[in-house]
Amino acid sequence: MSIAAQTDSCPRQPIVTGTSVLALKYKDGVMMAADNLASYGSLARFKDIQRLHPVGKYTVIGAGGDMSDFQYIQKFLEQLIIEEFTSQDGHDLGPAQIHEYLSQVMYSRRSKINPLWNSLLVGGFKDGKSFLSYVDLLGTTYSATTLATGFGAYLAQPILRKEVEGRENELTEEEAIRIMESCMKVLYYRDARSLDKYQLAVITADGVKISESRHLSTTWSFAEGIRGYGAQTQ
Amino acid sequence: MTSIGTGYDLSASTYSPDGRIFQVEYATKAVENSGTAIGLKVKDGVVLAVEKLIHSKLSVPEANRRIQTIDRHIGLATAGLLADGRHIANRARDEASSYRDTYDAPSPLKNLAERLGLYTQAYTLYSSVRPFGISTILGAFDKEGPSLYVIEPSGVYFGYNGAAVGKGRQLAKTELEKLKLSELTTKEAVYEAARIIYLVHEDAKEKEFELEISWIGQETDNVHLPVPRELQQDAEAKAKAALETFE
Amino acid sequence: MADMVSIPHSQPQQHQFNPYTENGGTILAIAGADFSVIAGDTRQSEGYSIQTRYAPKVFRLTDKAVLAVNGFAADGNMFVKKVRQRLEWYRHAHAKDMPIRAIARLIQTMLYSRRFFPYYVYNILGGIEEDGTGAVYSFDPVGSYEREACRAAGAAQSLVQPFLDNQIYFKNQTPAPGTSFPGHLSLSTVLSLVIDSFTSATERHIEVGDGLEMYIVLAKNSPSIQSLRDIRGMSELTATEDGERVFVVRRDLKKD
Repeated sequence: MSIAAQTDSCPRQPIVTGTSVLALKYKDGVMMAADNLASYGSLARFKDIQRLHPVGKYTVIGAGGDMSDFQYIQKFLEQLIIEEFTSQDGHDLGPAQIHEYLSQVMYSRRSKINPLWNSLLVGGFKDGKSFLSYVDLLGTTYSATTLATGFGAYLAQPILRKEVEGRENELTEEEAIRIMESCMKVLYYRDARSLDKYQLAVITADGVKISESRHLSTTWSFAEGIRGYGAQTQ
Repeated sequence: MTSIGTGYDLSASTYSPDGRIFQVEYATKAVENSGTAIGLKVKDGVVLAVEKLIHSKLSVPEANRRIQTIDRHIGLATAGLLADGRHIANRARDEASSYRDTYDAPSPLKNLAERLGLYTQAYTLYSSVRPFGISTILGAFDKEGPSLYVIEPSGVYFGYNGAAVGKGRQLAKTELEKLKLSELTTKEAVYEAARIIYLVHEDAKEKEFELEISWIGQETDNVHLPVPRELQQDAEAKAKAALETFE
Repeated sequence: MADMVSIPHSQPQQHQFNPYTENGGTILAIAGADFSVIAGDTRQSEGYSIQTRYAPKVFRLTDKAVLAVNGFAADGNMFVKKVRQRLEWYRHAHAKDMPIRAIARLIQTMLYSRRFFPYYVYNILGGIEEDGTGAVYSFDPVGSYEREACRAAGAAQSLVQPFLDNQIYFKNQTPAPGTSFPGHLSLSTVLSLVIDSFTSATERHIEVGDGLEMYIVLAKNSPSIQSLRDIRGMSELTATEDGERVFVVRRDLKKD
């Protein structure tokens, strides 16, 4: 099968992939987290990949799924932002507009049976309001005060809901960081496609900030004591 | 005009016997009737300024801008037919965008000027088209630092330290030559630009005008932006004051 | 064809991209003599995961028509967006809102136009006809439709519809000797039935819950307005002076 036919209509599969993205709303805005790993199947292929990406002045997108599709998304969003800037009409795109645009792109690509293989979180802060929403390769969208993609939906989302729901307006940045860190740790312990190196993005009235890579400290000594599976027999 | 009635001025694809293309010269005339536009390439940036003549008191302030943005780091000012200016700006945006698409980097102005020069020149070749009635000043801050180009209706383009096109270009050029452009900061250049535009407007005093100024450089994080309102107001006030004492 | 040999697949089968998913939830509409109630829960899920506790499935289209959409959420949202666009064009062309009978036919046309790549959604349209009667239209994903007195659709259709058949059409009931069943139910009765339907569905179906949104469309000068007075959590959404009025009632459902 030719490359053209493959990308044109035939189904593809994700190749180099990122795992979960987490996000929550807190007192001052939105926080997002994703680790720095891009896997090639079960191989930890790239360990310094950034999966949180700023778009314009008020928005961050976080991506799981195919990383080349994500880079393509970054590229066309950059063009979109420049188009918007050069028109100099006094309007600029906020997180809600970027999410809607992305949703239309994702949905129209799934409708051509040529999806962009990603789960994306769109977080932002503009005009005093927080924004947090999801969109994926099917064009499915939803929003909530806490969101998690991939394995995070099973492992982190319950923790995030317990910690955040109903406290969105009181949570401080420090608490939010602590919650994120504990969730990323759970993911690192249980998700085999995750990494102990991750980044945090905060989007507040002050704009977008994406942290340097942070390291998770973990303990594995308990593994010695585990019996019943693995190499040990007794 | 000697060309009229000879039949050599009816098409851009026809030379006159002495090797001129009158349609291109007429396009240049369209530029000469327009309000002045200037560009200053200075130490840490570029400043563009335009004397926008107001043809009706009923027009909305700040409408029909003649300084346009091409990419984050590129600005464009035109003198001549307003609509031609918009067309060339759109073409420039497409070029800049396609450069980004191909090279994943902002377009160097040198490259953009060449592409636009080629495009403009193509409109001097065919009987089916009319050359652009504009001169275009391009300003940018790219990987080479600040840069400034002018494209003429013929399609020729040159790089400059200071550029002036339109009605008051002669006086403006004289004033620009007096400046030590390479030693000015963009902020100082804004004041000079405002002063020069106010000065060259003296000759067409009966017409109202609006000053447009934009800058690119250290002050703006290398992004093409209109200068802040307070700065422009201050520069205009100083420009008016300077007129009193000039010569 | 004797020489044709089937060659076994030497490569692992490429799994097909599935452009659909199912996002759970349930919708329901009941028509009265001069009103219509259209309701849906607000949970959106995929598999065993709750994606969000608040994703509306019921949408006010005009002051006389409300549309509930259930199935694949991305298709649903796109479909509602396109219907609204068509209604806006109609408004620009005719300076009035499209009658519900026409909206119903429009929806059938739009659904059928995608007969071979369907919108994977069940639609229920509720509102007021031009003659002032309450109406419910229900659709299958490719556009088959009919006008009914009531309809449930979605994840808990099989739980709710039999209940509605029994309580609204009085199926499997016999009137007491010398009495007969009422031709039309009152608004307060209908609202109680809707609330009971959703609390019950929430109990027995994992994809139903979190929140309930009930839209109520009243005909011009409907006396049913009286029974709305003391409804908790109600707000009015009427936008025109045409006479029909739209209200929404939001209630919590269990979140487990």
